[in-house]
Amino acid sequence: MSSVLNHSILQFDNVGFSYQRDKEFIHNLTFSIGNNEFIGLLGANGSGKSTILRLASGILRPSTGSVKLWGELLQSYRNGDRAKLLCYLPQLLDMPIPFRVRELVAMGLYPYEIIPDVTVDEALDIVGLVEKSDSYIKNLSGGEKRRAFIAMTLLQGAGLLLLDEPLANLDIKYQVEIMRLLKGLKEKKNISIMMALHDINMALRFEKIMLIKNGKILGMGNPKTVLTSEMLTGAFDVAVELKKLSIRSTYASYLDF
Amino acid sequence: MSKIRITFFILILILTLLTSLFLAPKVINPFHLDTTERNILFSIRFPRIMVAFLMGMALGASGAVLQGVLRNPLADPYILGISSGASLSAAVAILSGSYIFGKFTIPLVAFFGASLVSILVGFFGWRRGGLWPERLLLAGVGLSFLFHAILMLLMSISPGERLGRTIFWIFGDLSVADWALIPCGSLFIISGFVIFLSRAKALNALILGDELAHSLGFSVHKERLILFMSISLMTAASVSLGGIIGFVGLLVPHMMRFFVGADSRILVPASAIGGGTLLCIADLIGKSVMPPVEIPSGIITAIIGSPYFLYLLRRKDVLGT
Repeated sequence: MSSVLNHSILQFDNVGFSYQRDKEFIHNLTFSIGNNEFIGLLGANGSGKSTILRLASGILRPSTGSVKLWGELLQSYRNGDRAKLLCYLPQLLDMPIPFRVRELVAMGLYPYEIIPDVTVDEALDIVGLVEKSDSYIKNLSGGEKRRAFIAMTLLQGAGLLLLDEPLANLDIKYQVEIMRLLKGLKEKKNISIMMALHDINMALRFEKIMLIKNGKILGMGNPKTVLTSEMLTGAFDVAVELKKLSIRSTYASYLDF
Repeated sequence: MSKIRITFFILILILTLLTSLFLAPKVINPFHLDTTERNILFSIRFPRIMVAFLMGMALGASGAVLQGVLRNPLADPYILGISSGASLSAAVAILSGSYIFGKFTIPLVAFFGASLVSILVGFFGWRRGGLWPERLLLAGVGLSFLFHAILMLLMSISPGERLGRTIFWIFGDLSVADWALIPCGSLFIISGFVIFLSRAKALNALILGDELAHSLGFSVHKERLILFMSISLMTAASVSLGGIIGFVGLLVPHMMRFFVGADSRILVPASAIGGGTLLCIADLIGKSVMPPVEIPSGIITAIIGSPYFLYLLRRKDVLGT
């Protein structure tokens, strides 16, 4: 059991990536995601958060180095097998054709020939959307829509969830709702999560943070040690001041205009 | 619920087929057939209904598949330019009067033109190891304009009688339906449909976007290429059977989404049945309203289809927006 707990699910080894020739965007990235970890990927716009998640999901292939999933090269997996182990949700979840919530959630079963134990109703129950199961996705609020897609990933049954800015464009009520849901999935379902975000105050509440700038890791670890005023100022090119409210609570102040 | 609705559609289809066979434009009693009536029934009405159903089925199904592949609810199989290639090649044959393969000339050259344009659209839509929806769409529109311009040029310098025949074909001419065309047409249409059936889940995943389709375990470029082939086969075969029938490929998937939902595994077969039914109804109307003059089915589908489509557009829940 301890060997499973210590094993990294996803491992980046000296990963480099370029969108254009002669212009490397991601530089020599080495990190791992361990079992039952919840990692926040923090950085300014264009810092490389989405690219890192796309490399981690296999949508992009590294120009140099390697990405390994459970010790095997990510690209060596068959598509269907990979889908049972890791799952990626992009930031933009547009729906040009009007699917209903139940139809969308059931797609999480596509990688399986034999249907797993979790049912669509159970997944909807976990994300709190049972009453909206027959609604059109487009008619849901931003938070509900995000939860519907998370329900789909629950049926997919992957142990690693990669989320690109799941809190983007959501008001604070829905942000808290999504964070509670994700934390619950980590604790109750033992799902490892890596999510991109750019809200420093939200990042301060994570167990583990990876701070990114220009495709490089500035720091990785507990927010208390990684998210210092100097590091954040360097990452966002804006003066960030950290203020302590109590022993457990700190907030970042940067609205200097 | 969707089963009840599909049954309802099948009943409408059966009713339409029976009316087309025995009631319109002239009543034929199936229990007392003379030689002429037997000929009308088996040599004219049966093949015509079969062709109408096959064409409608192909257009409805390929429209539903294409709207998913392009992630665009306003896509129509003809938007890929396949019909313009078929029209141009058929028009060349009709206007030049060179029927080198006899009665098979028009369907054969139309199929050849449609297939050639499919390959061209695929060529221009291909980049970095795969087909891209925006490129496919733009390639289709670009080629359509080109072929349409050449077609107009040919028609503007052609003599009257052949011109009329060309126009009739372009608007969907089911009067040329012949038993001999059916085996080949149905082979291509059914092949396209079977290809789709094997990739139905992939189509649903592609509708969610390339990244989510990848995350669900599909090879995005491979699936899109296979589905494009399915659409091309069905559309090319449909056009070659009886010309251009507008609106079926656009309208029917929307109608069916209202009845059976958006899941392609149900929607595409339902659109096939719906498309077949709609075209049989259009043909029935076209040959019944002012006999012996026949109105091309493409005109009828557009006249029925446009107001219904605009009605659907006003309903918030149908397009989900």
